[in-house]
Amino acid sequence: MATAPAKTRAPIYEGTRIPHPIPTVLRVSDELRATGDVMTVNFGPNHPSTHGVLRLVVDLFGEDVVGLEAVVGYLHTGFEKNMEQKTWWKAITYPERIDYLSYQNNELVFVLAIEQLLELETPPKASWMRTCLCELNRIHSHLVWLGTAALELGAISMFWYCFREREQILDLFEMVTGARMHTRYFQAGGLAEDIPRGFYPEARKFVEWMPHAVDDYEALVDRNKIWLERTQGLGLLSADDAIALGQSGPVLRASGVDWDLRRVQPYLSYADCEFRVPVHHEGDVYARYRVHMEEMRESTKIIAQCLDRLEGMEGEPWIADDRKVVLPPREELHTSMESLIHHFKIVTEGYRVPEGEIYVTVESPRGEMGCYVVSDGGPKPWRVKFRAPSFVALEATATCMTDALIADMIAVVGSLDTVMGEVDR
Amino acid sequence: MTYEGVPGLVETVEAHGETTLVVDPARLIEACTHLRDAEGFNFLSDISATDYLGWGSVGVSGYIGTARGRDLNLPATQGLQVLPQAKSKRFAVNYHLLSVSDRPRRVRLQAWVDDGEAVSSVVGVWPTADWHEREAWDLMGIPFDGHPNLKRILLDDDWEGHPLRKDYPIGGEPVRFSEEE
Amino acid sequence: MALDEPLKDLGLHSERVLWEGKGPGKFEQEVAALERKVSLTTLEKAVAWAQTKSMWPDTFGLACCAIEMMSIVSARYDIARFGMEAFRSSPRQADLLIVSGRVSNKMAPPLRQIYDQMLEPKWVIAMGACASSGGMFNNYAIVQSVDKVVPVDIYVPGCPPRPEQLMEGIIRLHEAVQAGVPPAYELRAVAT
Repeated sequence: MATAPAKTRAPIYEGTRIPHPIPTVLRVSDELRATGDVMTVNFGPNHPSTHGVLRLVVDLFGEDVVGLEAVVGYLHTGFEKNMEQKTWWKAITYPERIDYLSYQNNELVFVLAIEQLLELETPPKASWMRTCLCELNRIHSHLVWLGTAALELGAISMFWYCFREREQILDLFEMVTGARMHTRYFQAGGLAEDIPRGFYPEARKFVEWMPHAVDDYEALVDRNKIWLERTQGLGLLSADDAIALGQSGPVLRASGVDWDLRRVQPYLSYADCEFRVPVHHEGDVYARYRVHMEEMRESTKIIAQCLDRLEGMEGEPWIADDRKVVLPPREELHTSMESLIHHFKIVTEGYRVPEGEIYVTVESPRGEMGCYVVSDGGPKPWRVKFRAPSFVALEATATCMTDALIADMIAVVGSLDTVMGEVDR
Repeated sequence: MTYEGVPGLVETVEAHGETTLVVDPARLIEACTHLRDAEGFNFLSDISATDYLGWGSVGVSGYIGTARGRDLNLPATQGLQVLPQAKSKRFAVNYHLLSVSDRPRRVRLQAWVDDGEAVSSVVGVWPTADWHEREAWDLMGIPFDGHPNLKRILLDDDWEGHPLRKDYPIGGEPVRFSEEE
Repeated sequence: MALDEPLKDLGLHSERVLWEGKGPGKFEQEVAALERKVSLTTLEKAVAWAQTKSMWPDTFGLACCAIEMMSIVSARYDIARFGMEAFRSSPRQADLLIVSGRVSNKMAPPLRQIYDQMLEPKWVIAMGACASSGGMFNNYAIVQSVDKVVPVDIYVPGCPPRPEQLMEGIIRLHEAVQAGVPPAYELRAVAT
């Protein structure tokens, strides 16, 4: 890991900028408060630029932001409590809606937790396909991020270009899983259905087109003077502060820390894929933007490698063979008594996951997405907790917004790539 | 993996490739500081609180779906009830730690408390604990001593109760299926 | 029920456009009957037409449905052909509130505040299962249907609804407005 080379570079800033005593709140100093010129503005839950229902209570001294507090919870859905009421199989529908841009990564983390508690092996075809879909989801998430972040900074036309590619990705998802968003395609043991014919040529077309699309986006903003002025040197976060604040994903990589869970603790088939992890060292909004763009290119490469492998796996099983957990194929239900009983038990009572607890993490497009599952051996989860990267990213808002103007706040909060669904769960 | 010299260590549990260090809550900050400085766990990934009220009251009969199949020699197969391992106290506060370094490792720190018993806040050790502890207070009702800003975070400020506790009802409404209801 | 005028003279679009040769659906029949009963004057019809052709939505995206709502602005589904691509950030400039996503108990007061800040005539579309009925979240945190907070004109099911589904909802709203159906706040109070 490249913290050694990073130390030879000049640090992004000296010391720490984490506010004291509350690390997540910028507090107005008493002298400023005494001038009487500090205005408190509420960027309420309904705001076009806050990426969902985020409320920021901002104290302004002219145009300088001198006080900042984020109020969250406007989208608290009670996922964790709801999932305790459903069987394991039905509960898989819930995690998707937590981070609604990278829904398959969320499904994946929960399904991996179940599989690890069950000690269930998934067949390689399922593993490669999951990798492919998760990378497509990563590109999807970055596209929506780029479209909306650029829209907020004024580069309005970027939105339409990004959504054009997003539609192609959603077409691929619809072809494979039947739904555009919230696909519910991952099961404990593998995939719900086999990969349809026609997916590979369509996916290849996408993989060939995508680098040109990223070239288009970069042509629009990469050296655009307005974009550079609005993103360079803003929202600085040093590597030590980022680690202390629990940042991960593109935010951490833009601060110079070479840390990617796909490389460090490979899950699915990432160990067999060749890809580069983009790292930048400036720690500003522009660095995060560059990390996102390069990640899109790398994801395209990973998808191409997955397709290469998957095309040779025609006819292989897509789900594990354990009939205590996985539904038997429907044809068997007509002839086999055991299959009928298994089907009945799995659908009505649900499979039981042995007693234990586990914490699984994956690299979602926003960073380290974790799922802590406690099972009491029954058909329903006892406790499910999701570690959402955006929840933690918002904790860094106060640090990134030290010495910033109000107009920079939009750029900084946008660059942290938050999805309020996962902040509030 | 065993960790030597963790202050207040009560027990080490290894399962599913993970290490759980059960620590005495009175010495939590010492343990966290030791793990951060001596062992290199500089990244606090998550703080999860779990409520074990009612644990073990519902028996688990032997239909356990594992890849190994059913082991007939294991107790509690053939439909006999097996109760999960009893827990000492009601709440477990789990700290998931990660070492972002050349030796990446994960470990779970676990502290057991009863209802109303406070846990020391680790905001001084890892600033990211701020919001995680607020969430644990909000949803589970575990007070954190020394937290600079312990307010509700996900629910309304005037909400009563702590929803993720097992004695808090799921809420919602009964679904109306026809006109007559 | 037979109609004596051709459908297109009644200004009805949805199923006919999407399904060549299909006769009037139940919705079109009901709206046609309503139009005859209500019988708007020419001026009222003109005003209703104008309201429909540039009904600007408010940016009230809450959760996953918001992403599909954003994709109707995108080039493939293109809501600009209905004059609705101008999503107003300020509710005082918006006509249509598309509640897209789950409304938590904490968000319900801001939702009502936004609705109150809109000027009449205003319409509300409850987009998605969570806004229509609470969806899969029948629990302590989510308001079980947004019509407990604001009066709703059109409910669009789905989780999330496809952009085409949302567009169908919007087009039906347009047709209802053109037929003379008053906005929901005149018809019904907020549900209990």
